[in-house]
Amino acid sequence: MDHPLLFLNREEAAVLDALVEEILPGEEGSPGATEAGVVEYIDRSLAGFLRDLQPIYRAGLAALRELSGDLTFADLDAEARHELVAGLAENPDLAGRFFRIVREHTIQGFFGDPAYGGNRDLAGWKLVGFPGAQWGYSAEQMRPGVDAREIPLLTLKDLYARIGGAR
Amino acid sequence: MTERFDAIVVGMGSSGGIIAEQLTAAGLRVLGLDKGPDYTQEDFLVKQDELRYYQRGAIVAGVDVDPVTWRAGEGETARVLPWSAGELGSDEPLYGLPSIGTGGGTLHWGCAAYRFREADFRMRSAIAERFGKEALPEGTLADWPISYADLEPYYEKVEREQGISGRAADNPFGPPREHDYPMPPVTQAPGDVPFVEATRRLGLHPFRQPLAINSVEYRDRPACVNCGFCHGYPCHVKAKSTTQVTSVPAAKATGNLDLRPLSRVLRVHRTGDRSRVTGVTYVDGAGVAHEVRSDLVVLAAYALENVRLLLVSGINRDGQVGQNFMTHNFGWFTSVLPEPTNPFLGTFNASSAVDDYTSELVPDNDLGVLWGSPIISVTGDLQPIEAYHLMDPSVPKWGLSLKHWLRDNYLHLHRMYSQTTNFPHPRHYCDLDPNVTDRWGQPALRITHDWAPHDANSVTLMGRYKEKIAREMGAKSSWMDEPRPPYHLSTHDVGVHRMGEDPATSVTDVYGEVHECRGLYAIGGGQFVSYGGYNPNQTIQALAYLTAEHLLEQA
Repeated sequence: MDHPLLFLNREEAAVLDALVEEILPGEEGSPGATEAGVVEYIDRSLAGFLRDLQPIYRAGLAALRELSGDLTFADLDAEARHELVAGLAENPDLAGRFFRIVREHTIQGFFGDPAYGGNRDLAGWKLVGFPGAQWGYSAEQMRPGVDAREIPLLTLKDLYARIGGAR
Repeated sequence: MTERFDAIVVGMGSSGGIIAEQLTAAGLRVLGLDKGPDYTQEDFLVKQDELRYYQRGAIVAGVDVDPVTWRAGEGETARVLPWSAGELGSDEPLYGLPSIGTGGGTLHWGCAAYRFREADFRMRSAIAERFGKEALPEGTLADWPISYADLEPYYEKVEREQGISGRAADNPFGPPREHDYPMPPVTQAPGDVPFVEATRRLGLHPFRQPLAINSVEYRDRPACVNCGFCHGYPCHVKAKSTTQVTSVPAAKATGNLDLRPLSRVLRVHRTGDRSRVTGVTYVDGAGVAHEVRSDLVVLAAYALENVRLLLVSGINRDGQVGQNFMTHNFGWFTSVLPEPTNPFLGTFNASSAVDDYTSELVPDNDLGVLWGSPIISVTGDLQPIEAYHLMDPSVPKWGLSLKHWLRDNYLHLHRMYSQTTNFPHPRHYCDLDPNVTDRWGQPALRITHDWAPHDANSVTLMGRYKEKIAREMGAKSSWMDEPRPPYHLSTHDVGVHRMGEDPATSVTDVYGEVHECRGLYAIGGGQFVSYGGYNPNQTIQALAYLTAEHLLEQA
């Protein structure tokens, strides 16, 4: 674990790492949700803004444990994880409900500003070509044919650095 | 000793800011109350944060503090907005309550600044003339007690005073007007170009949308910098026209405005015989209640909040408060275009629309649709999390299919929407929820509403036109919302304290004065009598200038 945990325990964090990676998998040269720090985002959010969701997370993790047999979800082999998640996406039960919540938070952690703990190395923004927290765009940049991926990416931290003040 | 003022204005937003500005300029001592903060520019300097503003709704009134409940019909138990609250919920500023604090709904808005059409003010007559009386929808559809011509000078005033950009000559279907907009349109986003070309080829008449956003420096406020965090976000450079940077500062500058933020009005007070207003009670940010007095109280909160205040104060002699609920159904239509649209660029509305199918211009059709809507191109202001929310429903949303879809399509997304007409009907109303209260012990407002066949048919009909446009744009794929979407609030909720001459069918007069209580005004979208396909704010502000003029004539 490369970040201190504020709500989850280590086993829960490992299970979530494996689950979010199924939702947005890493590939050669293209980080997935684990590498992007999505679980750090989820852990921080559960300790703060999303604290009302602490019970559903704990209940959902328990439901996932039951579906994982003798092993934890993190210890299943790739094929077994894949198969289990394929069943969860449309599952109306608690485990499916939990999956959809985690998926929402995976997207948030992957594409939110890195100030929230996810989107490390701007993996999410680089994936889709979103230039991030820009002060503005010029009339030239508003013209058709501009390659968005050429625009240097900026974060909230960069904008604070620009306007000054110790942040 | 109880404080006394010449006027008390509840809500420092779209209409309240204008009332405060006009009354203080004339020398009246005004108390301005708002349940949100009194924002300064320092609050908004760095706002390019999708999680904070769009997904977590930082500036809107969230349902945890301001609960609103909804049910489809009588006999059901209403729940706190199920599409907004709960484990998957977000206070996204499209389907709930608008922003609060100085500026009110004009902080979060997308700035579409449309005048209503001449026919929109006489919808009932226009439908009867074209389709016959027997075609009139069931319910309480009526003509407005004022005409477009009555309101035209006040529209003009909004455009000049608040600052609107646009080019009237582009739209052959626009209503008659005295002058052009005071500023040219804002910079067009690249994704709008294919829409304009395609609609022209189809023989339609695209025009650049009128927007309450500076395209050039105007009245000491700079031009928009195209940051692409606009709808749902405050503006970091003051280019967005919100009363937080227009009317409220002007009111403060007179020295006659006593502005009290974080002050939530709990109750309106009347004389013993209930015929005149005497003041209000509000609770401040520290939880202390205060009673303040005035013979003139203007409720200028959001339409639904105005209703809640009237009802908790026992003001509903004729049973009309909360009736005639109307809202907008957006019919979102998303396409993947062959060329990049770079959808993060510029405002939500740095784009065009067509009025060829709007209001009375709706073509004859097999779906029984009586009133049309503009079709609006949305090209900017799209961040990745929101893009995920509107993605193609046929794509599996996990694994490489999800990841690759976002990777390959985000930069090519184009959206269209319409705002279809809701006819007022006794089935659709709001009242006080019998079960849910807020943290101050006040009952929540309860919405009873379901999409009627005409609503769904309108979305379907407009969807056909959107599909034609998408095909003409060469869309690689496209998909649209269900005709009956899960949401029932749109931040465009109106009609619930209707204006009119007869107390048996309306709540206020044309100026917003509540029939049953002298000196008490309820203004805003709640006054609307019918509802076409344009965004409500321009008309809300035109009515506010009308009310202000009337109040000063009375004073």
